Amino acid sequence: EKTYTWKVQSHWPGSSSSYQDSLGRLKDVIEERSEGRIKLQLFEAGAMFKATETFNAVSRGILEMGTISPGYAQDKMTLAGIASGLPFAFRNVWEAAYFHQNMGFEQMLRDEAAKSGVYWATDKVYPTEMVTSKPINSWEDFTGLKIRSSGALQKFLTEAGASASYIPGSELYTALDSGIVDGAHWGAAQGAASMGLYDVAKYHVQPALNIAGTDVIIVSQKALDKLPEDLQQVVKQALDEQFWIRTNQYLYKERIALAKAVADQGVEVNVMPDDVQQKLAQTAQGMWDEEAKRSDEAKKALSLLKQFLGELGYL
Amino acid sequence: MSVVSAFMKGVTRLNEYVGRCIALIVFPMFVFLILEVALRYFFNSPSVWTNELTQLLFGVYAVMSGGYIMAHRGHVNVDLLHSTLKLRAQGFVDIFTSILFFIFMLALVWFSFDMASESFESRETSFSAWNPPIWPAKGAIFVASVLMLLQGIVRLLEDIAIAFNLSYYDPTERKSHSEEGEA
Amino acid sequence: MSIEVMTLLFFGSLLFFLLLGLPLAFVLGGVSVVFLYFTWGFDSFYMVVSQIWGTMESFTLVAIPLFVFMAMILERTGVARDLYRMMYLWFGGLRGGLAIGTLGICAVFAAMVGISGAAVVAMGAIALPSMLSRGYDKQMALGVINTGGGWGVLIPPSILMILYALITGVSVGKMFAAGVMPGIMLMVLTTLYIVVRCALQPDLAPALPKEDRASWPEKFRALRSVLLPISVVGMVLGSIMGGLTTPTEAAAMGVLGALISAAVYGEFKWSVLNEAAIRTLKLTGLTMWILFSAHAFSSAYQSMGAQALIESIMAMIPGGAWGTIIAMMVIIFFLGMVLDPVGIMMITLPVFIPIITALGFDPIWFGILFVINMEIGYKTPPFGFNLFYLKGVVPPSVTMNDIYKSIIPFVLVEIVGIILIMIFPEIATWLPELLF
Ligand SMILES: NC(=[NH2+])NCCC[C@H](N)C(=O)O
Ligand code: NA
Ligand code: NA
Repeated sequence: EKTYTWKVQSHWPGSSSSYQDSLGRLKDVIEERSEGRIKLQLFEAGAMFKATETFNAVSRGILEMGTISPGYAQDKMTLAGIASGLPFAFRNVWEAAYFHQNMGFEQMLRDEAAKSGVYWATDKVYPTEMVTSKPINSWEDFTGLKIRSSGALQKFLTEAGASASYIPGSELYTALDSGIVDGAHWGAAQGAASMGLYDVAKYHVQPALNIAGTDVIIVSQKALDKLPEDLQQVVKQALDEQFWIRTNQYLYKERIALAKAVADQGVEVNVMPDDVQQKLAQTAQGMWDEEAKRSDEAKKALSLLKQFLGELGYL
Repeated sequence: MSVVSAFMKGVTRLNEYVGRCIALIVFPMFVFLILEVALRYFFNSPSVWTNELTQLLFGVYAVMSGGYIMAHRGHVNVDLLHSTLKLRAQGFVDIFTSILFFIFMLALVWFSFDMASESFESRETSFSAWNPPIWPAKGAIFVASVLMLLQGIVRLLEDIAIAFNLSYYDPTERKSHSEEGEA
Repeated sequence: MSIEVMTLLFFGSLLFFLLLGLPLAFVLGGVSVVFLYFTWGFDSFYMVVSQIWGTMESFTLVAIPLFVFMAMILERTGVARDLYRMMYLWFGGLRGGLAIGTLGICAVFAAMVGISGAAVVAMGAIALPSMLSRGYDKQMALGVINTGGGWGVLIPPSILMILYALITGVSVGKMFAAGVMPGIMLMVLTTLYIVVRCALQPDLAPALPKEDRASWPEKFRALRSVLLPISVVGMVLGSIMGGLTTPTEAAAMGVLGALISAAVYGEFKWSVLNEAAIRTLKLTGLTMWILFSAHAFSSAYQSMGAQALIESIMAMIPGGAWGTIIAMMVIIFFLGMVLDPVGIMMITLPVFIPIITALGFDPIWFGILFVINMEIGYKTPPFGFNLFYLKGVVPPSVTMNDIYKSIIPFVLVEIVGIILIMIFPEIATWLPELLF
């Protein structure tokens, strides 16, 4: 019987827990259920394509599969801004999960990606949280911070009054260590731990800056179409259940990573005071509407989101 | 034959000119980085654009240098065997190896055009906090590839002249030229 | 076709076209395209352009043109010349004095940059002419620059250590700390080599004849010429350590320092700066085009299944923890002859690290062995960035053959260094344990 070997370009380095937990799991599940007819060949971040190029490579059918953050596909996906997480929208991970899977946002993403020949499957939803070297106990504390950030959050933090600058991941540790910046976000606890940030920044700031489907698995439609019907189902089902398994597992590991940082490295969980949270949420909501301007879909997604958050009593 | 020499001179001059302009980019790169340090450290207000603009300038600077360096025969090679050959033999060998060069360049020209036009059609921006257009930087890969391809054709014509003792090119020119641009 | 055969053909054609004298950048790019065509088809050429774009977007590389520009200004304005004159007056009586002084400057440079290219190019432009004009042996001078220039990745900050940390999950800070002592050790070992070799063969690095040696007042007057270079270094290092700049931004501080020096020398002129800028473009451009193609080359090799090859080789290595470590070192050494360090890391580390930790070795310690081995790879023929960067700056009288030969003793010294760190792991692990 014909076997299909898929090249899979990750945007995670091999040491990232997601490389094994997400891609390793997917490889095992798909290879087992297809009885070896599909083989996944995994490549670490940057091996063949840079993270920002992976969507293009999958869209062109050069790669069969890849992982990205929605931010890396902004150019082709007008929904990417909302998918990467509007700041201070969801308050719990389950809300983001519900919004994706039960309110139809995931389907909207899938439809838009299909226009580029890509099958979109969010790997998991999770929070992005800051770590800082100084605690935030007042609005002045917050606005006095120099924060390493990127993309939409950089704009948000700047707008909110902090000094946010972009520093590439490779210089992040040094920058925090020498005090060029006082804070940064790299995922949440697991991400911070994996970059060694707790060595040099002892405050883990909550609540999350955003909660979103920050990791996505993308599959080339061309490659999917080449599979017989039963194998297509194997792939799609594996991806569907991946979302729930990974979202839950990631939360669990977040908790453990944070507990470990607190116990072993003297990290302190710093919950921002209510008035700071409120001011941040206000700034955030003022910026959401920007995203709606990108397309009709984005407009629709935002009103869906606002309706949802309204129901939850957050607006 | 004068058309050939004119073409060769024209391309070389074009690359020379482009190179001299591109070389100046090092000044704004320096200024923007210093500016960012000053804004962040002394005014506590880092900008969203300095580092990214520097990065984009650097990319254009690096990729666009290719043709200029070729015009000066500055791309590094291994001269172990090559330098022991007689000039005409070198000509023949260079004609042969240029196949690989042209394969590389044609792939670059084709796919950089593809990448650049895709980027241009959507007026691609970087989606950073500053969000500048990045299609010009991607376009630079295409322009640079074309410039290198042209200079490569000039080189091939030189090599053919050397190998077959043709009169439209005087190889002693090359010597003086490459010594004057010693880098 | 099996990956073993592919590997032979892939690197075989690399060597073939290199020897025929086609510039390296085009060999790497051309071979990648041809192999991509046969393994993956026409559309995969997109990968080559995509890798170029990715390299253009790499922020740490921005430091290269700036550090090279700094060096070009210092050279064109005579600051560098006076620095070497001072060194010669002071250490000229010592055989090999200039070579050792050059090593010292290299070490300082290495503490400022995280990559090797800028230092090799800068020192090639500054130090080589100074040594050659004082009768130093070509190969001694070339070898010193090749080796010292590569320390940028060993003495922190280091982009290779950051990458190693990212791929393996160890702490960047611990890696940096672990690199300090081995860096110092290699400096001492290399200095010892120069001293001994020059004692045995005085003509390699002639001492200043007794009657030409400077008087003390002369020496002290010459000392003024180090003030400017030292303040440039102070600006760069100080701004990194003081939390003023990132290592990349610090390169711009270096340029600022060089410009101030130029002004002090009365050489702050458009003609000088423009010329420095043009040389900077040539030197940066040739390094960048090699990088563009090298990245395409190693991603092409990875897409062909390089990692599977390493896995199958490792499976054949007979048991024994030390046997495994040594086998790994040998594999990296050979890969280092033909592939770029980033590619090597991507191919080997995912295979090696689980084995290393399963055997109970410290991944930080292994990381230092790995990085030194990469640093050796930078200068082992036929493919080594340092070799090619150096070839880009030297006068036409220096051939690739000279450069290739020059590195042999220095590589041996570094291998001794690796062996010492294997025997005494504390050289690497002592400082990180003290600090963290
Ligand atoms: N799970 C992770 N390690 N995520 C990393 C996210 C990195 C992202 N660039 C940020 O700024 O936060
Ligand atoms: Na360094
Ligand atoms: Na090498």
